[in-house]
Amino acid sequence: MYDVVVVGQGLTGLLSAIYAKQQNKKVALVAKGTGKNQQSTGLMGLLPGSTKGLAEWLKYFDFINQDKIMIKHGINHFKSLMDQGSYPYLGEIENPVPIVTASGHVKYTALYPKSVTPIIEGGRVVVVGFHEMIDFQPQFMKGNLLTARPKLTVETMKVKLGASSQRTMTQLDAARLLDQKEVRERVISQIKEKLNECKLSKVDMFIFPSALGIHDWQDTLEHFRTELQASITEAPGLPPNASAIRLNEVLQRKAIKLGVRFYLDSEVIGCKLRAEKLTQISVRSNHRISQIKGSHFVLATGGVLGGGLEVTTTNIKETALQLPVDHNGAFIKKPINVYPVGAALGKNVYSHGITGGIYSIVSSYSANLQIIKIEQNGGLQHA
Amino acid sequence: MLELNFHDTTFEKCLKCHACTANCPISSATLDFGGPKHLGPELKRLMDNQQVIDDHRIELCTLCGTCDISCPENVHISTLTAYLKAIHNEQQGTKFRDFVLGNAEIVGKLASAFAPVTNITMKIKPIRKMMQMMMGIHADRQFPTYQFHHFHRKYNKKQSNTKRKVAYFVGCYATYNAPEVAEAFVKIMEYNHIEVAIPEQKCCGVPMFANGQMKQGLKNATYNTDKLLEYTRQGYDIVMTCTSCTLAFKKEYTSFLRTEEANELATHIYDANEYLRQLHDQDELNVDFAPMEVKAAYFAPCHMKGQGIGNPTMDILELIPDYQIQDLAASCCGQCGTFGFKAEKYQYSMKLGNELAETVAEVDSDYTVTECGMCKNQLNQVTNKPVKHPMEIILESYEKSHNK
Repeated sequence: MYDVVVVGQGLTGLLSAIYAKQQNKKVALVAKGTGKNQQSTGLMGLLPGSTKGLAEWLKYFDFINQDKIMIKHGINHFKSLMDQGSYPYLGEIENPVPIVTASGHVKYTALYPKSVTPIIEGGRVVVVGFHEMIDFQPQFMKGNLLTARPKLTVETMKVKLGASSQRTMTQLDAARLLDQKEVRERVISQIKEKLNECKLSKVDMFIFPSALGIHDWQDTLEHFRTELQASITEAPGLPPNASAIRLNEVLQRKAIKLGVRFYLDSEVIGCKLRAEKLTQISVRSNHRISQIKGSHFVLATGGVLGGGLEVTTTNIKETALQLPVDHNGAFIKKPINVYPVGAALGKNVYSHGITGGIYSIVSSYSANLQIIKIEQNGGLQHA
Repeated sequence: MLELNFHDTTFEKCLKCHACTANCPISSATLDFGGPKHLGPELKRLMDNQQVIDDHRIELCTLCGTCDISCPENVHISTLTAYLKAIHNEQQGTKFRDFVLGNAEIVGKLASAFAPVTNITMKIKPIRKMMQMMMGIHADRQFPTYQFHHFHRKYNKKQSNTKRKVAYFVGCYATYNAPEVAEAFVKIMEYNHIEVAIPEQKCCGVPMFANGQMKQGLKNATYNTDKLLEYTRQGYDIVMTCTSCTLAFKKEYTSFLRTEEANELATHIYDANEYLRQLHDQDELNVDFAPMEVKAAYFAPCHMKGQGIGNPTMDILELIPDYQIQDLAASCCGQCGTFGFKAEKYQYSMKLGNELAETVAEVDSDYTVTECGMCKNQLNQVTNKPVKHPMEIILESYEKSHNK
């Protein structure tokens, strides 16, 4: 019997589990996989794919003025969590900043990890790719970046990490290599050589793939910054991005260390209701079906993209609890102790099946507050 | 040639998202490994209805199953990699070393029969150097010790006469290397008024699967399934103290055998701590635990994580008054059963092992708790903290409370 059962291990699932555990609750997290967090960029946007700001965001998600304090607290709570995990996030939701992605597209984001720096308006940037890594092509990026930032001078180069690989090398693999000082030194000396060849003396910013170290990203970033005497940014692209893997590791480790019980390789395939309350969920793992009981259930199943909602030819199905939902994917009759968060709320998906990191953070925080409030008022019997 | 239509087609759900390779412990340690995405669903797609491909890179897969728990689409990648290992073995033949390592039971029987000699011999450097040269077993890898008075010599009841009936699948490690774990389990059951029976059993097959000896592994799986079903059909619960054995019955047997019998048996299989937790949930657990002022660290074996049972070891140990236990939140230990003994894999094994050693040092507990004998072997080698099986701790607490 758990106080809080969280379904899903993406950003909302991990945050919800951590927040509940910080309230000294007995918490289970049930997940069939690692969630979509590892496939993300690690950037926290307001309304994905748009340049819209906080005012539009508040309106889109039906927040009212009184919610602003809660939202502020939620964001600060997330930031302090990431500070504790030694992977600090910068930025403010009031002032989204432009970030360059691996395609050279410039997008706006509210919060970003310290390994990312907002793209400059003008000046000289150098895009550095790695010969061994095909997912990041500086030349391709250059074209798009110049369209978005015409005042920039963009140079490109490719250097060797100096490692052979038996699999297609990803940003994550490159990041693990760049954790090693000798690999960094090799890369830096090649960059310097190429700068000399092109007689480039003053560079304002270097753009790298999202691969600047995993565990030693701080050393990596500092090493590049001091040696290259310019600002450095990671440009997230195809997964796995180091920026997202670090975020996921920090949250996962935090949850485990706090004592969240992880039910892995476990798919929720139904539930049991009594009156208007959910009493237990049915979980299938390795061909076995078992029941997990709880007082509160946070549904962090990630909507259509995360697999929590499934679009059929005739309607939308909710795949975990298997309760009826409307044409937006929202529960028709939500059990009082079920708290959908993030994209699992269905209607709140903004574009491409994504709600945006900020909404995920805030809704996880808000669900936790609702649970605290109910508990303070004497539990669900009095709800 | 192996029949390739061996399992369901769940791999079709693979979106190539890379979660499996991103989380794969061996992939994190080296770029020499092709990774589960490529050697699992991608290769299977390539081979289906076409020529069988033997890819030697599969040798680096440890069958830890981290890919299975990582996949957001629920693809059981390790089933695919296990069969790729079998294909590789079939085409290339089994190395003598891998045959020996895969047959943990035969090794256990022989090594424990000559236990004092075996244990000393395995510590003699020149002999180990020779073993490395001739057999490819790394000279620096410490071996678990073997016990002459192994568990089967001590306890061999075939029937249980109590209301609750438990049949104990002991496994090779608790039989030949750590009979104290098996004895502790039997005594813990006694404290809960449950008599333990020991069914006829063979090695669960995990070391065979990991060394590509699929046919032999399936033979053992069928034997064990038949023997244990005789018990479950009489109302017995099957309990195990080794998380790799437990996962084999829950996952591998059902995936590889794909029989009704394997599925039926899987519903009766419990990890020992999972079983104790169930007793507790049903108010049947003897909670007469004596306080223990201990600060322990818990290392979760990959094969425990793969069972989807939460963290029963910590659930039970936290019932002991004053007992503090902290999950290390660590990745794979790197021993990976037989993997860490092999000379050509030793460097990868130790890379993971040294990372674990750092984590253990950071937490700085009195000792480390883990269920898996092979994880213990690695922890013994890379850390200076003692390593205990949860059964030993629970028994200690019961005995203290009963002044034994």
